[in-house]
Amino acid sequence: MNRRLCMVALAVLCMAAVAVAWAWHGQRRPVVHPPLLAYPGAVPALGFVPPAPGTYQLERILRVPDGAVLDSDGTVHGLRALTTGKVTVFSFVYTYCADAQGCPLAYATLHALKGMVAHDAALRGRVRLVSMSFDPVADTPAAMRSYGGADADTGAGLVPWHFLTTASTAQLAPLLAGFGQDVSVVAPGAAGARPPVLAHLLKVYLIDQAGIVREMYAPAYLHPAVLRNDIATLLMEAKAAASAGRP
Amino acid sequence: MQLTEGWKLISLLLLSTSLLTPAGRADETCNSPYLSSLIRGQEDYLYVWTLGVKGMGDGFDKLVTLDVKPGSRTFGKVIAQASARERGEAHHVGFTDDCRFLWAGALDSNKIHIFDVGANPGQPRLVRTITDLGARSGLFGPHTFYALPGRMLVGTLSNVKDGSGVTGMALYNNQGEYLRKYDLPVDRGGDGYGYDLAINPARNAMLTSSFTGRKNYMANLGALIKDPAAMKNFGNTMVMWNLKAMRPEQVFHVPGAPLEIRWSLRPGDDWAITSTALTSQLWLVKKDAKGGWQAKAVADIGDPAKTPLPVDMSITADSKGLWVNTFMDGTTRYFDISNPEAPRQTYAKKTGSQVNMVSQSWDGKRVYVSSSLLANWDKAGKDDEQFVKLYAWDGKQLTEQFKVDFYKLKLGRAHHMKLGSKGPGAPL
Repeated sequence: MNRRLCMVALAVLCMAAVAVAWAWHGQRRPVVHPPLLAYPGAVPALGFVPPAPGTYQLERILRVPDGAVLDSDGTVHGLRALTTGKVTVFSFVYTYCADAQGCPLAYATLHALKGMVAHDAALRGRVRLVSMSFDPVADTPAAMRSYGGADADTGAGLVPWHFLTTASTAQLAPLLAGFGQDVSVVAPGAAGARPPVLAHLLKVYLIDQAGIVREMYAPAYLHPAVLRNDIATLLMEAKAAASAGRP
Repeated sequence: MQLTEGWKLISLLLLSTSLLTPAGRADETCNSPYLSSLIRGQEDYLYVWTLGVKGMGDGFDKLVTLDVKPGSRTFGKVIAQASARERGEAHHVGFTDDCRFLWAGALDSNKIHIFDVGANPGQPRLVRTITDLGARSGLFGPHTFYALPGRMLVGTLSNVKDGSGVTGMALYNNQGEYLRKYDLPVDRGGDGYGYDLAINPARNAMLTSSFTGRKNYMANLGALIKDPAAMKNFGNTMVMWNLKAMRPEQVFHVPGAPLEIRWSLRPGDDWAITSTALTSQLWLVKKDAKGGWQAKAVADIGDPAKTPLPVDMSITADSKGLWVNTFMDGTTRYFDISNPEAPRQTYAKKTGSQVNMVSQSWDGKRVYVSSSLLANWDKAGKDDEQFVKLYAWDGKQLTEQFKVDFYKLKLGRAHHMKLGSKGPGAPL
């Protein structure tokens, strides 16, 4: 009983901390260790049954922009190389984001999706995950490596998950623009003291093997089950195209 | 990863706490659920998509910006005008999902004007005009602009081929590139007509309603009413779509041109409400005990025999109240919809000789009313008032705060309104 009381008290303290952080606009935001919120239970229940793979069409929305990015091991890539060849699930995040409807939700969803893909022979090896930082200053490759923890996998595992950043805001800006991803600084960080507070709309992008965005997910329907069916739909489409001799 | 039960509890409580924290929502309640970066407090600006009138000012359609921030030196004044450089029957507008752009439709020119309201919210700027809707989709009369993530779904009223009400929806990306069209169904009881669209993302559900085609909406209203054949060409259906698949799944018979659609904003609710223009009723679309969607009339709006012509509606943030404007009698009505099965009108005020659009703030304390319906449907003579009015609502009565006379200022006919703010922050 004492243990349970302690945990409830701790939970209440955590809630209070979140509330204070919310109200304390412009002040330092708490750094939320992603694995805490990456617990699969953090993915909200889905209020509908997604349509079966292959029974619907995903539109070709826009072409993914290209530009130099830094992987969590410091390797420089062209983003195009990490958004083509496989089906890619991509989102912008930042390591100290504490908005439960923002980066932690994206992390939790991709974490759950990773488990699904790893256990599905039809998907395994055909999907990669990419999380890319909004904040090249605070989120160095080392910070992104720490953020990704055991999930960070630059290609050797069943489900590669790249945690990317850029060398500068100047390199990041055209990528944000190319994805149509909004972000603004609600409160600037004091030099060397704290990171800025960022406001952004969570978008998770589904990108086909040719590097075309085929779906953008808002929190309302960002769910591993929806993603899984959409990925399967793209793979079925590619298979049908290959059978018909189309590129 | 293994977590103890305690940590799981903390994780879930943290998540639920954050979910209880209000998400970014518009001050105005009737927007796409995919919008972000919106305000919950006091709005700074009111954007008014305004029909040009020949010989009045430059005669063009324009986006008029009013300063609506209390205490401002220019409160209740026009602070900007952005011309569309055409007179194409300005009608409705809608924000992109990031609220940086307003897409504005012209029902007669078939063009879509995109205004940048993000760079300088007090001075919107026309940045692009889409002219390929008809050529690419065959659709005509861009009406509803409904933001999807990274895209804009455009509900239309008519078609290029014959100007009838058989129509569909066009999908563009936020860059203004055409992606595809979706036809309104003409089978299973569908009449193919379109008007509004509204999404319940939690249920993967989209509803569409139906109005009339170009031949009717550009006709003189007096002549139209006297033409029995033309009066048959109004929509009588609503359609429930599988949003993800963009597939029509169920057609409801809703006679009399069902127009604006408002889903309940309460999490977990599974109902939407609409009004029928010609039969003057409120209709409820709701899941029944078996989980199937049903549509039924739940209340009259005024005296249907007098054809008050209900037009725009605005649902309260708690979805317990609904403002409804009736054009013919110039009345703004409040319905208690605490029980959506049995709405009750609890307040009414004559707010003009003709009134069309109504937009309320998220906190419900402010109600904006505008006057114009369509260029050829607006009243004539002294009844052709053209204005935007702001009312304060204390739960008992509307009290006028300001009136901007759009004719006196040579602006044109005031139509759709959207609330704006100075934005959440600085560029990265």
